[in-house]
Amino acid sequence: MLEVEGVSAGYQGSDVVRDVSFRVDEGETVIIIGSNGAGKTTLFRAVCGLLPLSAGRVTFLGEDITGMPVQRVVRRGLAFVPAERHLFPHMTVEENLALGAYPDRPDPEIRNTVLELFPRLAERLRQLAGTMSGGEQQMLAVGRALMSHPRLLVLDEPTTGLAPIVARSAYTALGRLRDRGLTILVAEQQVPLALAVSDRGYVLENGAIGLTGTSPELASDPRVRSAYLGVI
Amino acid sequence: MSGRALAAGTSLVGGAEARTSRSLPLLFGSIAAVGAVLALVPLWVGSSRVLMGVAVLGLAFACYAIGFNLIFGSTGQLFLCVGALAGVGGYGAALLADRVGMPIVAALAVATLGASLVGGLLSWVAVRRSLGVIFAGIVTLIFALSFENLVLGASTITGGDAGIQVSAGSGTFLRQRTAAYYVMLGLVVAFLVVHGLLRRSHVGWAFRALRDDEVAAELAGVDVARYRVYAALVGSAMLGLAGGMYALIAGRVSPTTYGFAQVDVVVIVMLAFGGIGTLFGPVLGAVVFTFLDELLIDLGQLRLLAYGALVIVLFLWIRRGVIPTLAGLVSRRPGTRPGPPPGGEEPG
Amino acid sequence: MTASILDGIVLGLQFGVLAAGLTLVYGLGGVLNLAYGQIAVVSGLVTLLTMEAGLPAVPAALLGLVTGGVLGLVLDMTILQPVYRRSGEARVLLSLLLTLGAAFVIDGYLNWRYPLKGLNLRISGEPLVIFGVRMRMGSVVASIITLVVIGVLYWLFRYTRLGRAVRSVIQDEEGSRLVGIDPQVMMRLILVLSGVLAGVVAITRSMVAPVNVRAGFSLTVLGLIVTVVGGLGSISGAFLAGLVLGIINSVASSYIGTFLSLIILLVAAAVTIVIRPAGLLGVRE
Repeated sequence: MLEVEGVSAGYQGSDVVRDVSFRVDEGETVIIIGSNGAGKTTLFRAVCGLLPLSAGRVTFLGEDITGMPVQRVVRRGLAFVPAERHLFPHMTVEENLALGAYPDRPDPEIRNTVLELFPRLAERLRQLAGTMSGGEQQMLAVGRALMSHPRLLVLDEPTTGLAPIVARSAYTALGRLRDRGLTILVAEQQVPLALAVSDRGYVLENGAIGLTGTSPELASDPRVRSAYLGVI
Repeated sequence: MSGRALAAGTSLVGGAEARTSRSLPLLFGSIAAVGAVLALVPLWVGSSRVLMGVAVLGLAFACYAIGFNLIFGSTGQLFLCVGALAGVGGYGAALLADRVGMPIVAALAVATLGASLVGGLLSWVAVRRSLGVIFAGIVTLIFALSFENLVLGASTITGGDAGIQVSAGSGTFLRQRTAAYYVMLGLVVAFLVVHGLLRRSHVGWAFRALRDDEVAAELAGVDVARYRVYAALVGSAMLGLAGGMYALIAGRVSPTTYGFAQVDVVVIVMLAFGGIGTLFGPVLGAVVFTFLDELLIDLGQLRLLAYGALVIVLFLWIRRGVIPTLAGLVSRRPGTRPGPPPGGEEPG
Repeated sequence: MTASILDGIVLGLQFGVLAAGLTLVYGLGGVLNLAYGQIAVVSGLVTLLTMEAGLPAVPAALLGLVTGGVLGLVLDMTILQPVYRRSGEARVLLSLLLTLGAAFVIDGYLNWRYPLKGLNLRISGEPLVIFGVRMRMGSVVASIITLVVIGVLYWLFRYTRLGRAVRSVIQDEEGSRLVGIDPQVMMRLILVLSGVLAGVVAITRSMVAPVNVRAGFSLTVLGLIVTVVGGLGSISGAFLAGLVLGIINSVASSYIGTFLSLIILLVAAAVTIVIRPAGLLGVRE
């Protein structure tokens, strides 16, 4: 579904990620793990159209979307939730969700699905997004992304700033989405949580892909275990 | 709001200060040269009363532009009350000399001080309240409009719409065309000297620092607030002095002498053309503009259209003003413009 | 006193529409349009010229509004394009300077070609008595139109998808792009809207007092002051500030002279800006 080939991107002339390639097939949940500064956010922003590429190609659903700005990419079935979420603070939960469906009217079925998935949102439909807690905002951000009924959901460090319990419930929700057949791509620092819910993963280090393999493979790989799972 | 924005705005404003410090003789020499060239003007148009009037006004505008350059170019404060501050000097000097009976010099001095204090106050308020460029601009614009309305409204004192005749100075050399021109030229030269010396001093260094990156300047120990107010005090004093002197020379003042549309707008265009932040930019802008204005006088209102087009072109393409652009073209010394790194090709 | 307050409300509503056009453009795109007053004047002029050519008032007025919208569009497609390439204060400054240039161009041309023209829509009808005050029909109709416009704006931004999309760009531009909204397209729409609003100002104002060709800059400055007092980017702030300043101006005018009351207005505005730069209802960044 998503093919990233030889992508390089960065800021002000110097590349943060260099010659990165990976793919996500339909129905899979793929994770990109790496520590702070590895380049995960830069990579995702480049792939989704928020940052220009200095090299490489991105293909989504068979279409070349290299260099396409994000507002056009998301209309083709990709939904991106960045780490900063970028919700609309002075609008209600309801309005934020409704905007997720833009330019269409919100589909009541999808809306109900989202609210089922995140009951806390259902309780706070009239609350202003800016007044919600971190965990609730993350739910809303994912909910808003789901309103467009995407084929691919891309999440950049969804657990940023969340308490461990909340982070875990976030991944539980992701697991449920995965069970419904949604294709998911996640960048994550909190490796154990991510590995548990995913099919395959790539390790990003200093802007390049180091290891790759299925999640069970990665979880048992000694290098991954020592670097990211804190196992000596 | 401050540092980076100012730096971003600087590219718009063209205050490229990459030049190495000039020696004192070079500074005085170049000012003297400019002064000498301008001193030749009466030889050319001295016989025409009208044209001499235009020339004197042109020099007045050069003074205004230097003052505004000091305030906006050096410290990034968008003072949209240039005309009003000159008006404080102009109406102030006229009224103090005529109604209160002060001797001319004293009246001029007090009026200049008044203008300086008003400008300093405006700057101080903006600084205290951390008002960004736009807000400072609007507050000063409000002052300008208030001044204009005050002058229009207090017609018993200020003559309202019609203005007043300035009897102080009549019968003196100030009213003689050529002498008046040289007096005004003297002011221009004096202002250039003041600005030139300031730029070379620690004050000038502080100005450059705060214009490039306000936050870094603060951290380096530059009291940004204080230097902003200094610049405003000195610049406003220049405006007031020039405005006052012009009133005495012209013999009459009215709201349109110091109005926003007549003064501020013109000064901004002049400075944009000549190069904001440079030493001679204001003078170049004033000379060219006065010349152009006189040339196009038959077009009447269409001139405004021409100036509008000029402003658009200026800020789209020749963004930094003529002088920085020329300096960039002419200067070939390594280190004075962004070019190949040291050890790279010789720029020739 | 009641008379001045009612006059103040009429004036204030117009201040509000005047400011709304400016504040929308600033709130959405961080751009200050100093040619705004000129757009209003051109709208009024088109209305006048078509009426002189025989067109009845209402279609002429509509044509004027369309002209305003078109001018807004042209502005966006031409001189604002380089402005969008910058950001933050550099963008505001450049927009200020380029639109000022545009204002000169329009103003210069208008004053050269149609120096003495002024739009003055006389509304026939007996004065209405409201709260014991005789109000001219022109004032009443102007106010009604303005209130309708306010209602339409409110409905537009609160309840339509498009309005919500615009608000989203103002609140979080990247967020809006993430849901598929193109901020540039929104900006273009808003600029057209602001042009139409400028036209509304010209037409309603002309029902109360003549709007002549030289009024461009004073309209812009007035709008700017009301905008800043209300809070850059806040439409409700624009109307609130408009009403407050309109009433202050009107009441002060009737007790003190015109000039002094204008000074009071200006000083009140300056004081508000200094005390509370975000404005009465400003959208905080």
